Amino acid sequence: MFDFDATMPLMAVQFLLLTAILNAVFYKPLTKALDERDAYIRNNQATAKESLAKAESLVKEYEAQIAAARKESQSIVEKAQAEAREITAQKTAEAQKQVQTQKEQAAQEIQQQKETALATLEQQVDSLSRQILEKILGPELVK
Amino acid sequence: MEILGSLTILNTFTLAELEVGEHFLWKIGNYTVHGQVFIVSWIVIGVLLIASLAATRNIQTVPGEIQNFMEYALEFIRDLTKNQLGEKEYRPWVPFVGTLFLFIFVSNWGGALIPWKLIQLPSGELAAPTNDINTTVALALLTSLAYFYAGFKKKGLGYFKKYIEPTPILLPIAILEDFTKPLSLSFRLFGNILADELVVAVLVLLVPLFVPLPVMALGLFTSAIQALVFATLAGAYIHEALEGHGEE
Amino acid sequence: MDINSASVIAAALAIGLAAIGPGIGQGNASGQAVAGIARQPEAEGKIRGTLLLTLAFMESLTIYGLVVALVLLFANPFA
Repeated sequence: MFDFDATMPLMAVQFLLLTAILNAVFYKPLTKALDERDAYIRNNQATAKESLAKAESLVKEYEAQIAAARKESQSIVEKAQAEAREITAQKTAEAQKQVQTQKEQAAQEIQQQKETALATLEQQVDSLSRQILEKILGPELVK
Repeated sequence: MEILGSLTILNTFTLAELEVGEHFLWKIGNYTVHGQVFIVSWIVIGVLLIASLAATRNIQTVPGEIQNFMEYALEFIRDLTKNQLGEKEYRPWVPFVGTLFLFIFVSNWGGALIPWKLIQLPSGELAAPTNDINTTVALALLTSLAYFYAGFKKKGLGYFKKYIEPTPILLPIAILEDFTKPLSLSFRLFGNILADELVVAVLVLLVPLFVPLPVMALGLFTSAIQALVFATLAGAYIHEALEGHGEE
Repeated sequence: MDINSASVIAAALAIGLAAIGPGIGQGNASGQAVAGIARQPEAEGKIRGTLLLTLAFMESLTIYGLVVALVLLFANPFA
């Protein structure tokens, strides 16, 4: 059972040969293939990460733009509203003023007309009373 | 051998027999070699070469079935080596540790799974190459050489400082360690595989059908673990030589 | 007692005695591993791997005994 002979050195040489051959046909090419695949995957991952980052930055940019646009539109709306409010206020004030003046004018006119009417009425009263007197008393006596 | 002889006489009619220490000897010049070990080891080497050639003949980024399988094996080996040697040093040692693992693993499983008894040899029997002490001692000595080489390459003659650090009192133990390492490595592998085959053989002697199956399954499991242990220990020894004592 | 029967008895003792220590050790290790898994179920894979490896190491102590037994039976230097 424990009979050592030339099997031992020959087996050692044979094993070393096997190691050398396997190194050439198995370890080296497959290690290279594995490393290349690792590199390939890492590359792809890196590019994917990059594009993801790019997409994210784009999204952020667009979001910022949207936010800016929204703010702008809001400010425009606010401005327009303020303007509209101002215009309405102005117009209302103007219209009120106009109405006021028209009212005043109308009142004045009415007053004037009343006065003229009263004046003519007084005149007429005067002449009528004079005529009445003439008629009653005779023209000679009225003077 | 006489004891064995008296044991097998009882079972002249059985399907299986115990054969320990019988070899199919070849003569090369003045030396003898164990032919059955080499035949099976060539088959193992052939399987490994065919599998790796099939996997690497047409390497694609998206692997096919066999390439995927071999890549899985390679990643397993790389993880094993990386765990033992660390991220920085492991790459040059992947082929050695990995081939240790692959060769022992395929040998063990080949010895257990292929019905070698169907092939008759003039003497001895075909079995896993790792159940011959020559093979395991060869692998263990190569491991020893590997860690000496690793230590010398990294530190030059400063490698010997590890024997007298932290204190020269431990020098004999440190030297003894260099002998016990390959001894325990080779005997562990040899003993496990041989014990496995003996247990299966004894059970087959007693009950030829079905009963040995669970033991065979256990044997497959242990032999896989033994391959892992051998490779792990080789990695650990190389790491120790690279790092020196007490720097963990 | 002739050398053959002494070898057989020695072989039986070698494997039997060599099984005691690793048996205790393996029981201890497995118990600790189970406790570890119970305390930290997420570390089960790692614990199992380490446990199998350490069990193989302890197992090899018995295997050394077995090797000695085999030497006594089949390659006895004194017979």
